[in-house]
Amino acid sequence: MVPITDLSASLCRTDAPAAESRRRPRLVLGLGNDILRDDAIGLRVVRELHDRLPPDSDTDVLETSEMGLALLDLVVGYRELFIVDAVQTGRAEPGHLHEFAGDTLQRLPRISPHVLGVGEMLAAGRELGLAMPERVRIFAIEVADPFTLDTELTPALQAALPRVTARVLAALGAVSWMRLARADPATS
Amino acid sequence: MEQAVKNTFNQGAARAAADYQNARRRYTVDPITRLEGHGKIDIFLNGAGDVERAYLQVPELRGFEVFSLGRPAEDMPQITSRICGVCPTAHHMAATKALDDLYQVQPTSAARKIRELVYNTFMLEDHALHVYVLGGPDFIVGPDAPAAQRNIVGVIQKVGVEVGKKVISMRRRLRTMIAYFGGKVVHPVLGLPGGVSKALAPAELAGMKEIARDGLEFAQFTNQVFHDIVLKNPDYVKLITSADFTHKTYYMGLVDEKNRVNFYDGLIRVVDPSGKEFAKFPVRQYRDFVAEHVEPWSYMKFCYLKPLGWQGFDESPKSSVYAVAPLARLNVADAMATPLAQKAAEEYFATLGGKPVHHTLANHWARVVEMIQAAETIVALLDDPEITSPDVRVIPTAKPNLGCGVVEAPRGTLFHHYETDDNGLITKANMIVATQNNAARIAMSVEKAAKGLIHGGNVSEGLLNMVEMAFRAYDPCLGCATHSLPGHVPLSVNLYGPDHRLVRQLVQD
Repeated sequence: MVPITDLSASLCRTDAPAAESRRRPRLVLGLGNDILRDDAIGLRVVRELHDRLPPDSDTDVLETSEMGLALLDLVVGYRELFIVDAVQTGRAEPGHLHEFAGDTLQRLPRISPHVLGVGEMLAAGRELGLAMPERVRIFAIEVADPFTLDTELTPALQAALPRVTARVLAALGAVSWMRLARADPATS
Repeated sequence: MEQAVKNTFNQGAARAAADYQNARRRYTVDPITRLEGHGKIDIFLNGAGDVERAYLQVPELRGFEVFSLGRPAEDMPQITSRICGVCPTAHHMAATKALDDLYQVQPTSAARKIRELVYNTFMLEDHALHVYVLGGPDFIVGPDAPAAQRNIVGVIQKVGVEVGKKVISMRRRLRTMIAYFGGKVVHPVLGLPGGVSKALAPAELAGMKEIARDGLEFAQFTNQVFHDIVLKNPDYVKLITSADFTHKTYYMGLVDEKNRVNFYDGLIRVVDPSGKEFAKFPVRQYRDFVAEHVEPWSYMKFCYLKPLGWQGFDESPKSSVYAVAPLARLNVADAMATPLAQKAAEEYFATLGGKPVHHTLANHWARVVEMIQAAETIVALLDDPEITSPDVRVIPTAKPNLGCGVVEAPRGTLFHHYETDDNGLITKANMIVATQNNAARIAMSVEKAAKGLIHGGNVSEGLLNMVEMAFRAYDPCLGCATHSLPGHVPLSVNLYGPDHRLVRQLVQD
């Protein structure tokens, strides 16, 4: 029997309404599905970030299970966008962090079989003349199992969570590595 | 049964199970095939290097039943809608209807109308996404356009920035309507056994009517776009009706009491390849009509019509393969439920040679016809004075035991089936999703494309493109873990020799 978890616990700060007139400095957007094992890693990372960013931070943190075109509504109006997501390339160990600058996504592949990719969403927004982020950075964490219904990460991803969180925080420039290491018992 | 017979049977069954497990194991450990991307296509060649069998592999969602066991049945509309960010409303509604059945309670008339309102709104916005964004590159930009243009940016360039903005804003407004009732689009909290959690406040009605009016105009506009770009181009029409994209199969879909298309409710009707009614049944009987076949070299389950037995991936009259989704829904119904959609459907059938239409790519057109019906239905529901009634809940009192629910998801018929103990805690949970219903026909489509392009072990240019077009028309839901490498969802094709060893792998750029 799997533990019965409270599914409503994580519902509190997701999916902000669209605000076309908004011009905010920075958004950290966690993507994923919180009941598909490792697919939740992006959500878990931004949850950690949310708890550690100073209250006066100019960075908004958002987690969402939306995808593709629906993400447009969330990212329009921000100057900078950080995306944290799960990825399975099969070419790296689970827990490995792939980092991309958004402009490497300029090259559009043919459309994906089903879901619009992040790169296509960004390109579509620019094509439509929307206020798209000028700087985009993507953190994609290699996952072991994004196909099993479960609320727990696999051990490899569980272990990687503090390191990945630290790296994203460092990229945000909000907290130093050292301070983070002290704050997080899992890394000390 | 005699003991000896029983033993032999059991030994045979054990061997078959072990072989199947071995085949599966080989799959997962082979380092080259570890890539579990969205579309993985396995093509098996015979001794002459020609295609013997081809499959589209979809990452398998695991652990649904285990995850559900012991949970209160009332959680199922929330859990199932969270499985997939693509069709949350479809799962939510199928689960809610299964709860009605489980607790033997009918929603009030107003509650049913609210559910239908939300559901048709979802159909309209989801279909719009496919027409413009996912399927758009094949038709709006064009099947012969350079690969670099066959994407969302190409679509925007073709239809113009203003139309692009219209699509984005229409979808957003429709989603606002869903969010009003469900709290959120991705994880709606609306359906309860016997009703819904929120009534429509009269003050909101005017705003929603405006969205509905614009939605109907938008659906008609989309029909016009399809006409101007696709139907006025004889090459496109030729492509839609070409033998390469045609399979004569059975079709399945929900119909109302007048055998008209219905997305939310009704009886499940099946027609044979000549269009004659083969079966019509309520969801409780789904297991009498739908069975799943497993192939040794695939972990996919292929649905077929149980009364006919599994007859292979075949389109002869004895085949038990059927299809769901827009093409199938229009084929199984005698008519559309709304006047403008009916007019559009008449043109559709007249152009494509009458009912049933067997051309897979016609799904794109059928989807546009369905957008019109969804939009007209939304308008009609909001014009119904009962839509603002506060009477939206019947409290269930019966003891739960078994419940089944069905809806037409945008991608086809979706079954949910739960069993519980006396306290309403789940003891069994099963789902058959649209893409499973379609899996055998999708495999046939992929195979046909592969057969046309692989001869004597040589793979022609354009294989990936043709194969993609073949399965994209179904709008298959390729797994629920939807985040692949950002901006780049690789499609890989694996070619296996007669000994089932991998001989070549093609990965989409």
